[in-house]
Amino acid sequence: MAESAASQVTAHGGSRREFLTLLTAATGAVAGGAILWPVVDALNPDAAAQGAAHLIVNVADIAENTAKTVQWGGLPVTIRKLTAKDVADNEFLVTSTLVDPADFSARVNAGYPSFVVVVGLNTATPCELEGDATSDPRGDFNGWVCPCDGSEYDPLGRVRKGPAVKNLAIPRYTFLNAAQIKLG
Amino acid sequence: MTTQSKTSWATTRLPYLGSLCATFCQKNRAPGAPYFEAFPFLIAVAAAFLTLSGIVLAVYYNPWHAFDSVQFIDRDVNNGWLIRAYHATGTTMIFAVTYLYLFRAVLTRAYRAPGEFVWLLSVKLLAILLLTGWLGYVLTGGAAGYWSLFNASNAALSLGSLPGAVGLWFFGGPAGGGTLARLEVFHALLAASLLLVVWLIHASRKAVALPVAPARAVAFYPYYLAQYFAALAVFAFIFVILAFYAPHISSTHMNQLPATDLTVAIGAAVPWYLAPAAGLLGVFPTATLSILAAIAAAAVLYALPWLDRSGANGAKGKVYGFFIWLLALDVIGLGWAAHSHCALASTLAGVFTTWYFFHFLVITPVVTAMEAE
Repeated sequence: MAESAASQVTAHGGSRREFLTLLTAATGAVAGGAILWPVVDALNPDAAAQGAAHLIVNVADIAENTAKTVQWGGLPVTIRKLTAKDVADNEFLVTSTLVDPADFSARVNAGYPSFVVVVGLNTATPCELEGDATSDPRGDFNGWVCPCDGSEYDPLGRVRKGPAVKNLAIPRYTFLNAAQIKLG
Repeated sequence: MTTQSKTSWATTRLPYLGSLCATFCQKNRAPGAPYFEAFPFLIAVAAAFLTLSGIVLAVYYNPWHAFDSVQFIDRDVNNGWLIRAYHATGTTMIFAVTYLYLFRAVLTRAYRAPGEFVWLLSVKLLAILLLTGWLGYVLTGGAAGYWSLFNASNAALSLGSLPGAVGLWFFGGPAGGGTLARLEVFHALLAASLLLVVWLIHASRKAVALPVAPARAVAFYPYYLAQYFAALAVFAFIFVILAFYAPHISSTHMNQLPATDLTVAIGAAVPWYLAPAAGLLGVFPTATLSILAAIAAAAVLYALPWLDRSGANGAKGKVYGFFIWLLALDVIGLGWAAHSHCALASTLAGVFTTWYFFHFLVITPVVTAMEAE
């Protein structure tokens, strides 16, 4: 009992002072973190901005052979429902004949192969494409046509006629179910 | 005891760290300073914390739609209500500590040589805080803040000549569309200058430190750091209680309404920390007199080291101590008068204002000179 309280050695070998220092530092770190976390979290986007960043689109109302265009993240995102003929025409196309080779599976979601989701902007001149409705001009490949420079795309969004040389971009999306797509 | 034996990887590459550590570990301080000596440290912590929460508020604040953007922060921003409570409570705390710090400096006569410079900086700190606090109160876009701004800007513009031109430059017109936009910038700039003043107080306090025998001296780390942290724990405890149970203790209920040009907010009151200044300025009938009174009220505070005639080592008298406590009550009374709407309050505000100047200009020189003998 000659040892003073401050330097008393515990069963685990550390002194009481070391233990108290550790305890104080740990409590301080937790308190500091708890105070600062809201400051960091407040800079995250709010719920409305998050909702806009992860837009959910109803695709059940899209008729075959038509497309629906929604605004998302400043881009026109076009969702097209393919006909059986569109699928048959494009599924086994030899891709090496294309301007920007991409096969059928690279353009559609494997679980929902009748839907094509693309950014509806021409890749050469950034104009919004025509061809969503059956009454729109659709070019020789029954897809989309650019009203500005005449580039033509097939229903999968692959470029078929220039001046564009790149296929339509595919945005980040996931199928929530057969009727809903979540963008972003 | 050199620190060279402890040179680490970092200090060999950044020698400044070594001198920083040496400064903190050097045994050059007298032990046993009261906990109240931690006030400037607490002011610095509160200022840094206000800066941090203010940066977050500035991200979402929109001066062109001030009230709506404050509502957006309260309702939509993640933890926005908490950030706003942090900022409001931080303001209450920094003012509370600053008022206590100044009161203690007067009470202990810390303003006397060689502490005059620290005192001047401390009064400057209060002046900047008052202006920054008022701007923050106005920026909320609430009914009370709007009419406070309306009165102040119209008063400034009515001055004419150079003061009027300065007022026009500061406010950008009586109630210009961009007034809040520029006041937001001034609020931030004043906050930055506040940090500078706090640092200057810290730096100049070294000159005031008492000499200490080397045998008894202690180092800042860990002796005073532990003491400061103990003070900070008390400060943080009060802060948390206020932030969670009374977050808008300083805001007036009229500021919960959006400002409208055609509806004067009756019964609007300034936050408690502006109340003594508002009570003093409210006594004077014209804008010119109010501004002169504000300058005079600051000037007598600035002049305190020279108004005290007791000399550097003069005795600390009981009578003067009594008058300092009376001055504290006087300042509280001014704040009460600014909040009260009874007829008696305006009369008493005049009495309190008179007493404020009487205390500094007559009582202080006479009583200190008498007691020093």
